[in-house]
Amino acid sequence: MSADPATERLAELLARSALRDRTAFKNLYDATRSKLFAVSLRIVRERALAEEVLQDSFVSIWNHAADYARAKSAPLTWMTAIVRNRSLDVVRRTREEPDVDELLTTNLVDESASPARDAETRAEAHTIRDCLQELEAEQRQSIALAFFHGLSHSELADHMRRPLGTVKTHIRRGLLKLKDCLGRHAMTEHG
Amino acid sequence: MRKLSADLANALAAEYVLGTLPGRARRRFEAIVRADPETAAILRRWEDGLTPLAEGVAPVEPPARVWREIEARIAPPAAAATKAGSGFWKAFGMVSGGLASVLLAFFLYISTGSRGDPLFVAVLTAPDSAPRMVVSMQAPHTLRVRMVKPWGGMEDKGLELWVLPKDGAPRSLGMVHNTMGDTMIRIGPDDPRIQDIKALAISAEPPGGSPTKQPTGPVLCSGMVAPVRRA
Repeated sequence: MSADPATERLAELLARSALRDRTAFKNLYDATRSKLFAVSLRIVRERALAEEVLQDSFVSIWNHAADYARAKSAPLTWMTAIVRNRSLDVVRRTREEPDVDELLTTNLVDESASPARDAETRAEAHTIRDCLQELEAEQRQSIALAFFHGLSHSELADHMRRPLGTVKTHIRRGLLKLKDCLGRHAMTEHG
Repeated sequence: MRKLSADLANALAAEYVLGTLPGRARRRFEAIVRADPETAAILRRWEDGLTPLAEGVAPVEPPARVWREIEARIAPPAAAATKAGSGFWKAFGMVSGGLASVLLAFFLYISTGSRGDPLFVAVLTAPDSAPRMVVSMQAPHTLRVRMVKPWGGMEDKGLELWVLPKDGAPRSLGMVHNTMGDTMIRIGPDDPRIQDIKALAISAEPPGGSPTKQPTGPVLCSGMVAPVRRA
């Protein structure tokens, strides 16, 4: 883990939260709430649901802050994973049947196409973006839509007007290429 | 539980993180991860690889009520019942324990008068506000940790004492005995670990102490540090 000052600050706040420091926990919330709310909102698509997800996630972060020290991930990654998992649980529960019309009219953005290379973005975020660029267009699009908007295989098939099997293959092959690419980057960083 | 091949574990972990693993398969995969450290490590690699992609999204400000709800849900039982109390005590969930702590600290201050004043004292209370330890820094080189009530059922755990400075990561002061009586920790008044001290806390850790140098176990008790004016 590259320890930039922002990452170190979040790790400190998490460690203090583990020791029940409520002020540190509030600072942790303030430092991450708008990113994490945005992440959830894209997946669950309703503000009320996203608010519920954010709330549940932070209660969980408070209760499991001590586990973070063992996670060895970057703090923001650890927290984002909690928010994404809870968001995905919510959509899989409430959106089991894909509503094709609603999906086709929803303006889904392929986030991977926008650069967003602001100074605040960490090296890890650059790596995965670079790796996504190595994929074929349809692989990249399926993976980005699934990641950012929480689309299931069948929702992706409807949205992209492709057979289900084709979409599954795009995802599987795309992920395999990402694994190679991420592995190459990890080796350059450590060696 | 069936052991997954590395290829299958990778494929499932990737689709789990991506979000395309269907509901029931998600639950099954989570159960495997809990039981199998190798699969858990593979999952973590995928989380570390893919999840930072989310950092590129444009931030959206959540309404203020979200924090109010979180605050209410993580409030200690005592604080939930009482609205009073300054932020100083409330910060550590000691609204009802606050007065008891001040009295105890005062008592300690009076009782140590003849042997020299301590530099600071702290009463560490459990989440139910019961006092569990009294810590005092005796000039010049001893931190005394007096057990008020030991913890049962902790034979395989150790108690680690942490300093919460005004800012920055917690600092370990070492292990404390889980028995009645005092643990004496040799520490100078200029030791960097106790500079800017704000509070003390005890967490349950493996017997030799936290493997990560940061608290990993549940917090058993904590308390704000009260500086004592030197006569």
